[in-house]
Amino acid sequence: MTATVTRAAPPGRPGTRSRGISRQTRETWLLMLPALVPVLLFSVGPLLYGIGLAFTDARNTRVHETSFVGLENFTRLLGDDEFWASFKIGAIWSVSVTVLQFLAALGLALLLNERLRFRGVARVLAVVPWAMPPVVIGLMWKLVYHPDAGILNDLLGTDVNWLADFSLALPAIIVVGIWTGMPQTTVVLLAGLQGVPKELYEAGHMDGAGSWRRFWNITLPQLRPVIVAITSLDFVWNINQFGLVYVLTQGGPGGQTRLPMLFAYEEAFRYRFAGYASMLGLAMAIVVLAVLGLYLWRQMRETR
Amino acid sequence: MRIRSALAAAAVLTLAAACGGGGGGGGGSSSAPDEPVKLNFLSLAWQKESVAANKQIVEEWNKANPNIQVTYVQGSWDNVNDQLVTQFAGGTAPDVIHNDSPALSGFASDGYLLDLSAKLPAELKNDIPQAAWDTVTFDGGQGEQGIYGVPFLQESQVIIANKKLLDAAKVRVPTADKPWTWDEFSEAAKKMTKDGTYGVAWPMKSPVNKILNLSLTYGGTFFQTAGGKTTVKVGPEEREVLQRIHDQLYKDKSADPAALGQGTADPLPAFYQGKFALLPAGVYLRQQVVEQAPEGFEWVTLPGPVGTSAQQGAVSQTLSIAQDSEHPDEALKFIAFFLNGANQAKLAKGDWLLPTSRTAAADPSMTTGENGWDVATASAKNLVVAPFLKVNGFDEWETKVAAPVLQEYLANKITIDEAATRLVEDGNKVLERYQR
Repeated sequence: MTATVTRAAPPGRPGTRSRGISRQTRETWLLMLPALVPVLLFSVGPLLYGIGLAFTDARNTRVHETSFVGLENFTRLLGDDEFWASFKIGAIWSVSVTVLQFLAALGLALLLNERLRFRGVARVLAVVPWAMPPVVIGLMWKLVYHPDAGILNDLLGTDVNWLADFSLALPAIIVVGIWTGMPQTTVVLLAGLQGVPKELYEAGHMDGAGSWRRFWNITLPQLRPVIVAITSLDFVWNINQFGLVYVLTQGGPGGQTRLPMLFAYEEAFRYRFAGYASMLGLAMAIVVLAVLGLYLWRQMRETR
Repeated sequence: MRIRSALAAAAVLTLAAACGGGGGGGGGSSSAPDEPVKLNFLSLAWQKESVAANKQIVEEWNKANPNIQVTYVQGSWDNVNDQLVTQFAGGTAPDVIHNDSPALSGFASDGYLLDLSAKLPAELKNDIPQAAWDTVTFDGGQGEQGIYGVPFLQESQVIIANKKLLDAAKVRVPTADKPWTWDEFSEAAKKMTKDGTYGVAWPMKSPVNKILNLSLTYGGTFFQTAGGKTTVKVGPEEREVLQRIHDQLYKDKSADPAALGQGTADPLPAFYQGKFALLPAGVYLRQQVVEQAPEGFEWVTLPGPVGTSAQQGAVSQTLSIAQDSEHPDEALKFIAFFLNGANQAKLAKGDWLLPTSRTAAADPSMTTGENGWDVATASAKNLVVAPFLKVNGFDEWETKVAAPVLQEYLANKITIDEAATRLVEDGNKVLERYQR
């Protein structure tokens, strides 16, 4: 049996760089190729294609010839009242769901971190919504909100059409959004809580700090990296939400729950303006990256 | 050397994978010379009886035509247009496509559907009245008019009434020959409103087609075309029905406000409980009442109210052929069989809709008084092509402008003047996009 041993270049010396790409580098790339090709073909390729489409007047038709239109779609987007209305709804939705979801999940995680009876069962029950597909969750909540047969009206003794009311539809879907995303936030926060060194609490206790003080001065600062990570991810997931809201309201009533992704979907699939829909997607991606970048930068600066 | 070979192999595999999904347009398999032609038929039948009727007809065809075998593919009204947009773009659309006339307009002008004008067999053409053919005649995208589907089932608006409450109100019971006027309808609804019971329920989750079709009773068309340019108009004719429904909700208080945001079938449980007496709906809803109503619940089908005319906008269910189908002639033969008079009667009964075929409409089962078939079939004579069917961009106007505005107006959040202004101004901006 023979074995090939590749010796790493000593530190500080670039090894075979002077002779071009090293054998090790070549082999590394070759081994990565089976994983890279699908990523390039099915992820990066379509992404670049989509970005390209955003600068054309592409339509999903057989008769239309696509041409390059430069920034025309972007200019249209800036003056599109429907888009801004949808953007505002998306901002309210994603910020509300992310913040409220975090607060509820933090409360639940703190509770589940205590030595409770049946803690194991409670932890399992808390993650049940995570196991459910968004479509099933949407259908289930549609039944809860049903004006005649819904359990909510039964409990409250009201006669409200929650998902069709202009003022209540958005709050109603925000509640569903919170319920849907809470388990994963809870699990992540719970994991973070379990990583907080016990000695810190003991020291705090000895210094006479009450539970609120211990929470504020020990738990929260210790959790900060976890909080930053999960709220950032939640924000991205929430602003990109589609399936849940599509099943619940399809953007109605009167566009009151038309999130940006629903708006883009309608442009692409209902009206078949593929170029404009791509520009919507691109613009949303840039906005999300900008907001996220700013948030992360601030949080990291405070952490330091 | 080995690396180069591996890269070449990877490139070949990649190309092969990329090419694998393409070709074979029309979704039907291309067949070897001695093999039968295979067609895919996308059906949107959803009611139990209708699915059974569809499958039975396909089976009969397959038995009688061993050289043209049809595969029944079950689709859904909920997502058929998304599915078709994707399939058309990918060249994998089914050969025979079940849809409705509002959706055909867009697909026809986008060049995805085959123009059947020159291919239709005379027997099929003559068995369906011109008014129905008008619902599937569209611009094919190059300025020419063509027939892009075969219309086979139509829906009219009727009123499904709780018989006990109707009798108790002691109002004149309308007949197909002498329907209620809108005034009589409003009066009847007012009389039936008492003791916590409302006279009528208007489920308006999707209000646009219903309002536009009913507005024709006062000649309201909502669109006008001049000099090749289509614009939205909301004059007195278009406001009439809107105002009357609004009055029932907020002036007479004879309409159940809880039903307003519901889909057509959603208020049925409340209807069975006697929460309201009259439910204006499409004729197909009778099927659900027959299947779901509690024992002893008595109901009748009444004709829709009339204004200056009894006209209603007609929308047809259709069968079309994909432009990319490899076997369009065989597909048309199948459609001609599928939609012959006897089969249309079966399909109409299965879906509780009105057949376009004259032969099918003459079937005794279509004119019986049982379950309101006589009233439903009689209403077919008032169907005219809905003007909005011909409007390029109607779909976007409906979703972005008309649905929100009508919902806001019916929810009493804006006045009829504000509604009219937005329907016209915002609507024209949308239509502009399609007329460049």
